[in-house]
Amino acid sequence: MQRFSLYQEEYHPSPLINVWLEFKRSHIALAGFILLVVFLIIAILAPILAPYDPQLQNTNAILLPPVWEPNGTVGHLLGTDSLGRDVFSRLLYGSRTTFGSSLLIVVISVFIGVGLGALAGVLSGVRSSVVNHLLDSIMSIPTLLIAIVIVAIMGTGLFNAMLAITLALIPQFVHQTRTFVRSELQKDYVLLDRLDGASSMRIFTHSILPGMVELIVVQATIALSVAILDISALGFLNLAAQDPSIELGQTLSQGLEVAYVAPWLIILPGLFIFLMVLSVNVVGEGLRSALRNRLQH
Amino acid sequence: MLKLLVRYLNLMVLTIFALVLLSFFLPFLFPGDTLTNISGIVAQSAEQRAALEGVYQLDKSVFHQFAFYIESLITGNWGISLSDRANLYDDIQLAFPATLELVAYALFVSIVIGIPLGFLSGLKNHNPADFSVVTFSIVGYSFPVFWLALIFITIFCLQLEWLPLSGRIDLLFDVPVNTGFILIDIALSDISNKYDAYLDALRHLILPTASVAIVTTALFIRFTRRSIMDVMKKDYIVAAKSRGFTQSQIFFKHAFKNALLPILPMLALQVSTLITNVMIIETIFSWPGVGRWLIQAIYQQDYPAIRIGMLIVSLFVMSLTITIEFITRAIDPARERAESATI
Repeated sequence: MQRFSLYQEEYHPSPLINVWLEFKRSHIALAGFILLVVFLIIAILAPILAPYDPQLQNTNAILLPPVWEPNGTVGHLLGTDSLGRDVFSRLLYGSRTTFGSSLLIVVISVFIGVGLGALAGVLSGVRSSVVNHLLDSIMSIPTLLIAIVIVAIMGTGLFNAMLAITLALIPQFVHQTRTFVRSELQKDYVLLDRLDGASSMRIFTHSILPGMVELIVVQATIALSVAILDISALGFLNLAAQDPSIELGQTLSQGLEVAYVAPWLIILPGLFIFLMVLSVNVVGEGLRSALRNRLQH
Repeated sequence: MLKLLVRYLNLMVLTIFALVLLSFFLPFLFPGDTLTNISGIVAQSAEQRAALEGVYQLDKSVFHQFAFYIESLITGNWGISLSDRANLYDDIQLAFPATLELVAYALFVSIVIGIPLGFLSGLKNHNPADFSVVTFSIVGYSFPVFWLALIFITIFCLQLEWLPLSGRIDLLFDVPVNTGFILIDIALSDISNKYDAYLDALRHLILPTASVAIVTTALFIRFTRRSIMDVMKKDYIVAAKSRGFTQSQIFFKHAFKNALLPILPMLALQVSTLITNVMIIETIFSWPGVGRWLIQAIYQQDYPAIRIGMLIVSLFVMSLTITIEFITRAIDPARERAESATI
């Protein structure tokens, strides 16, 4: 249907659509996105997708190799571990814990970090200097050290590990938010708001925050990949998830005991972690270049 | 300049104080008997308990205790381990150089490989070489280090049997400990077969260094690529081009140094990742460093060791970060603060 067009473009995509159109142009980024969606589906639907109960010990089939090996059976797609538990089901449940808890960690750190960052950005003088230096210092303490201290005080467990990683992730959001808020506060539109009588709170939520969302999303993808790596590393060191719960790093460290006879027990969980982090990084990279290029086309 | 130095010294002192204060309160937070957590000795009788409390001044006020803690930190009286009664000061003196060594080699390898590759791919933007370098970098920093190390072990130690699996040097070489850095120690020692010892130590070094360095190299590639791409878009490069300079003249005279500047603060941000990775790698390869030592301590619930180890490692990381930040500000005063990641 012919329609009258005043402008050169047929329609005006919203910024979000613009980003998506630009993001779609990169096939690799799209592949990463699909992989990420698959992991998201696994995280939500693991109990439905898993063929076996992950704790079920089938003593008739111990250390069964994956299906592509000569001795493998279709019954256990990726084989079984040293207690006869189905590896595929365990990996699905493990991905659920690893991915889900990392996602939770990032969401919580974004909320706390942006809140504190906004506060630090609005503050000035001695108070802001103290807040900032303190945060910069915390930022440089390795996650593993924070985790060791927290585990020493509160004992091992998935929750405590999540707490440690959250503590380690918050400062970078604070830093980003603070820098952004500082530079925006200098701009004229904020001055205009202020002249209209808007409070600092209102300026932040209505004027600055909408422009900051993209920055936060990109930062969150970096944080998500760090969170996945950290939580599985802590699981691997037996400092995070303990036995009844299943986590990929912890599954990997259990496979270590039989690594000689069953190398797939360390290769497969690691592969899942690797693919998870890779998909997050590829999507983050695609998002970043999409945001950078979206106005050029 | 002097003002800057004073500011950073001030920051350094404040951070050190905060860390010492935190580590002072840790034994009170740890589960179990505070006296045991501080002294590393389980008091057997009421008299011994009273005597120990006297030594550690637990019967006095918190300020006395803190003063005593600082005094014993400075005098090197760091207490004894709960699990094996070893002197913690000696333990850390042995373990810390091993960690430093691994960190130094991994950093060296990543800088030597990562920065040239980053320049290459940033300059030859969007051609196959750039594409493969970027792919390597994204894949590289997606690896969980412990998995990478285990795969290296499976391939090079178990299947091919090319490289040794654990430790720093074969026990056959009786190298006396002088500095704690194995390569320097071999040079200082007077053993007969130095060449073999070097070869053996290097063979032990390859896998741990590679496992840490792959991730760090990938990060360096990203930073350098981003940085050189930004610099090449600047007006002064366009001006240089229009004056007829060749590509290599532009790169070496104008772009190179300016592209290196933002990399240093990025390094400061990555120190904590690097140390975490090194600590995990030490555990896997039984590298006798402070990371393995700390993780052993947490398995054995050795609270005095955790307290001191945590303090020393975080002091090291903190002072390294602050020093890097200071150098960045000193060589590039125009820069406001260590700018956050525009990776």
